Amino acid sequence: MIKDFELFTPKTLDEALTLLNKYKDNCKVIAGGQTLILLMRQGLLTPSYVIDIKRIPELNFIKSDKDGLRIGAVTTHRTIEKSPIMKKGFKVLAEMESRLSYIQTRNWGTIGGNLCNADPAGDGAPVLMALKASVKLAGAEGERSMALEDFFVDSFKTALKPNEILTEIQIPALKPHTGVAYDKFNIIEGTLGTAGVAVSITLKAGGVCNDVRIALGGMANTPMLAIKAEKLLRGKKITDALLKEAGQAASAEVKPVSDILASDEYRRELAKIMVARVGNEAFTRAKKA
Amino acid sequence: MKKILKITVNGQPYELLIKDKTLLLDVLRDHLGLTGAKRACDSGACGACTVILDGMAVKSCSVLALQADGAEVMTIEGLAKDNNLHPLQKAFLDHGAVQCGFCTPGMLMSAKALLDENPKPDKQQIKEGLDGHICRCTGYNSLVRAITDVVKGEYKEAK
Amino acid sequence: MTKYSQIGKRVNMIGGTDKVTGNAKYTTDITLPGMLYGKILRSPHAHARILNIDTSRAEKMVGVKAVATGKDTIGMKQGIWRRFPELCDEEIVCRTKARFIGDPVASVAAVDEDTAEEALELIKVDYEVLPAVFDPMEAITEEAPQIHEGVELNINVNRHIEWGNVDDAFKKCDHVREDQFVCSSQAHMCMETHCAVSSFDYNRKLTVWTSTQSSYYIQVLLSGMLGMREGDIRVINPYTGGGFGSKFELDSAQFCSAILSKKVCKPVKVVLNRMEEFTATKRRTPMYYFVKLGAKKDGTLLAKEVRVITEGGAYTGMGATALYLTGFFSSFPYKFPNYRYDGYRAYTNTQPSSAMRGFGAPQSTFVGESQLDMMADDLGIDPIEIRRKNGMTPDYVVPGQAFIQSCGLHQCLDKIEAHIKERGKLPPNRGIGIAAYGFMSGGIFNWFDTPYSFSAAIVKINIDGKVDLFTGANEIGQGSDTTLSLICAEELGVKFDDIRIHSADTGICPADLGAWGSRQTLMSGNAVKMAAADAKRQILEFAAAKLGVNIVYDLDCKDCFIHLVDRPERGVSYYDIVKAAIRGKDGETIIGRGHYTPHRKGMISPAYSFGLQAVEVEVDTETGKYKLLNVTTAHDSGKVINPVGIEGQLEGAIMMAGGYGYCEDQPIDKNGKVLNAAIGDYQMIRSLDMPETKILEIDTFEPEGPFGAKEAGEGLTNPTAGAIGNAIYKAVGVRVNKLPITPEKVFRALREKEKKDKKKKNNKKK
Repeated sequence: MIKDFELFTPKTLDEALTLLNKYKDNCKVIAGGQTLILLMRQGLLTPSYVIDIKRIPELNFIKSDKDGLRIGAVTTHRTIEKSPIMKKGFKVLAEMESRLSYIQTRNWGTIGGNLCNADPAGDGAPVLMALKASVKLAGAEGERSMALEDFFVDSFKTALKPNEILTEIQIPALKPHTGVAYDKFNIIEGTLGTAGVAVSITLKAGGVCNDVRIALGGMANTPMLAIKAEKLLRGKKITDALLKEAGQAASAEVKPVSDILASDEYRRELAKIMVARVGNEAFTRAKKA
Repeated sequence: MKKILKITVNGQPYELLIKDKTLLLDVLRDHLGLTGAKRACDSGACGACTVILDGMAVKSCSVLALQADGAEVMTIEGLAKDNNLHPLQKAFLDHGAVQCGFCTPGMLMSAKALLDENPKPDKQQIKEGLDGHICRCTGYNSLVRAITDVVKGEYKEAK
Repeated sequence: MTKYSQIGKRVNMIGGTDKVTGNAKYTTDITLPGMLYGKILRSPHAHARILNIDTSRAEKMVGVKAVATGKDTIGMKQGIWRRFPELCDEEIVCRTKARFIGDPVASVAAVDEDTAEEALELIKVDYEVLPAVFDPMEAITEEAPQIHEGVELNINVNRHIEWGNVDDAFKKCDHVREDQFVCSSQAHMCMETHCAVSSFDYNRKLTVWTSTQSSYYIQVLLSGMLGMREGDIRVINPYTGGGFGSKFELDSAQFCSAILSKKVCKPVKVVLNRMEEFTATKRRTPMYYFVKLGAKKDGTLLAKEVRVITEGGAYTGMGATALYLTGFFSSFPYKFPNYRYDGYRAYTNTQPSSAMRGFGAPQSTFVGESQLDMMADDLGIDPIEIRRKNGMTPDYVVPGQAFIQSCGLHQCLDKIEAHIKERGKLPPNRGIGIAAYGFMSGGIFNWFDTPYSFSAAIVKINIDGKVDLFTGANEIGQGSDTTLSLICAEELGVKFDDIRIHSADTGICPADLGAWGSRQTLMSGNAVKMAAADAKRQILEFAAAKLGVNIVYDLDCKDCFIHLVDRPERGVSYYDIVKAAIRGKDGETIIGRGHYTPHRKGMISPAYSFGLQAVEVEVDTETGKYKLLNVTTAHDSGKVINPVGIEGQLEGAIMMAGGYGYCEDQPIDKNGKVLNAAIGDYQMIRSLDMPETKILEIDTFEPEGPFGAKEAGEGLTNPTAGAIGNAIYKAVGVRVNKLPITPEKVFRALREKEKKDKKKKNNKKK
């Protein structure tokens, strides 16, 4: 049963921020509400005020230029999935979106909402972290940006202040010879993953890894970067054996829990296997890029 | 708190005074008596409440009604034209893609939205279109066959 | 002229147009004037004494019209096994003790759902929490808390089946295997949750609209629990969103809505939410199997010994039947000269386990078919061959238990063998596994203690030739309305569209035990056939007179044409004769009556379906994840009455049985709370994961069934888990004996095997 609340539907970001600042102690921001409504129905969240930002035009966009990609926070998953802009270098985002939940959820749910939910196993975070995304937060005191990996503070907890809204996700342009790949392990397609892995590899001459990012979901209390595994690859020639080593390193680095989906040991094994596999795919894409 | 909701459902405009917290599903079932869309789970995961909102298949249990203010909604009750069944409805019947029928309205709405967006989906795309739905009775394959036959043009739409 | 004109036709299901247009009204859709909304307060403790319930604050809340607790009942306990009062152990609304998390303790009726839910929070219950036990092995020890007064060691039921002499026989075997298996629980997951609208009126009569598999059972059980005459209760079954075994016992929605309605003489609607559905209804019985199988080296099976302990949960429900059937079907579908089964059902402080599609046979089939493949492997015999060697044949007698009449198992073996051959050599990590099954077409034992025949039907022929068919059988989506109408039309000689069926309304339909145990096609079908034949006889009398043919000729009716059987072109219009028959008997309505109860058909069932299923899987040997690629089934359901219906049953069964094998389970935490009580958390096969399916037709005729038909809906749920297990073994050489066979379990088994293989290799080197 949802507890009664008052809904505001501001038309601009400024209006939204003013309202949020006023009611910040007892308030939730709703975009697609695909998770928020669920939590309210279960009585886990009982805000007295809800601010609907879904139809604020300045938060709903996909812009691409030489500096990279900017996605407004209330852009729906389906819009990203179907956007022709994704085909130009960011198709991994479309791939991730196409496996995120089901079409109905993607039609209404937003990328910003997904990130703000901060589910450690959330679909959006690993790919965006592999893409070195940063997020822009706006509040009554002004705007600030941070790397996406710093945005996640704990399970279901972000760095957002009570009077702040996530407004946009910024992804820097991909360097030449960069390949990004993603995979999600789940028992039934469409469900939240037991594990999600995204790898970005940038090559220089001779198949040597110039830069790398290995991001994992479902492996700790927040989405995480496998720093030690990345170190193993950086500056080295990518081979099958090296990718397997990276997988091994990642499996030692992760801090998974045991739950109804999988034991922590099995999650470690999945980290090992998937980092190697997804790394391989990223490497293949990097060679073609 | 209550507000006025202006919404068009199956071509009919409505103006309703509703509580802010009302879900789109509640409006359809409890305020408008359109009981085709079903409440079958509490976690937005079964698809039985699916309706078409501004051309998109959405779970009406997970949409705040006021977020659909000014929108056009189609429910299962709006699929047949006058006294003619829609090709999808006929195909579902012919293929035995209906058993207990509880998931059927939602399935048909997703199928319609799928074909409106892409009139020639392949088998994989049809399965993806239905993946947001649980059916405990049919095993899904008969629904895929029914939709495939509609795509092939085996059923003509009534004028 | 084709043999049959109506049965075997591909028809649109009756009620289908209502379902595809959204016009079908389910119990959850019903709104009546003045209707109140009920909610149920349930125990948060797995085992607790109820010391006091204070409902005063809830009663005072604005919008609350009635509050009820155990004190508002007549203090009866009920259960389906009415012949055995000690198994009628469920009060539904607890008076003194709660025995599982979710056991109802109070209920509220209010003007809307929100108010009712808020009112529940105002009810104060004082519990004395008691130690609880969840594992059946622990429950039967001296140290375990006693769950039901007077039931020693929590042993609820035990069953024994035996023939021959297993101990001697094992001595004569060339090879004996002993294995253990664990079969998990499973949720029915009907799309429509349990619900009821009860309306108790000022005439002291009760009408209940409810989602049910048996209107008759609910009527009788409610009368016992409310202290009312059966005839003062009318149970109506609107469109129903699935049953699968969960909805033929009296449930909390029905009972609480009735008690609440009785308090205020207003209709009360209670709809369980999905969490209640997952945790506080009933579920598939989890079972622990200890099996010993013995054979000669040529593959002849000589003996099987089965010991099972089942996790009964807090109440008996239909658990006693599941216990018996799992023991009976552990011998299926093979000719065991010596067999012994001992089954024990233990009470535990968990959600009661009861009946779910297959009724103990999916468990026994998983176990039996896995072990049989293991035996075949040990002996170096092909899995098809070992089944061929031992498989049941028509007219086989299961000693002291059952008479098998039709049995198409061997045709099924032939078909699947051909299918596997056709698939040819498979790529690495792919395998095809098979599993055979047999299942009942309705049960014989009258544990409900009904005085009525098990099925009954009435056929009324109207002046325009249209027919009203009245049957107590419940349409729950399985297509029984359609199947029974086809049977009626065929027997009477009219068209399917001429039949208008009225089903499962106790106020107008004769009693029928309902849709469970796969009984309706055979049992309700036989009653319908008899009623149609009775009505037909009445009009054929007039046709004989009208035609004035020689006495040696018989008459029959087909496609609305009454004709001489030997000269089908000679006859008279059915419509004319109907008019003549009604006029000729002073305007009396033509009514045919039929009924059916199996007599002298053994202990279990009047007829058995058989089949063989082949599942092809592909295993990712690194992660253990596997894909169900395709499922091919050859099944013997006798004469197919409703082909669209049967195909639907088969594919639907694969989704459910495949889920049982692959991903469905209900794990609990250390306090007995179900961990995945939500859709999304409870994993189920969806369209992207559903395998391709193929049906291979075989042709048999069951003498006991209407036009030779027997069951289809449940038997098809039996083989998939076993076939999956066998397929994984064929693909990658490992077995998982504990359901569900999840990727993680396959992963662990693969890593174990690698370790063993490495060790063997190293030992060889030494």
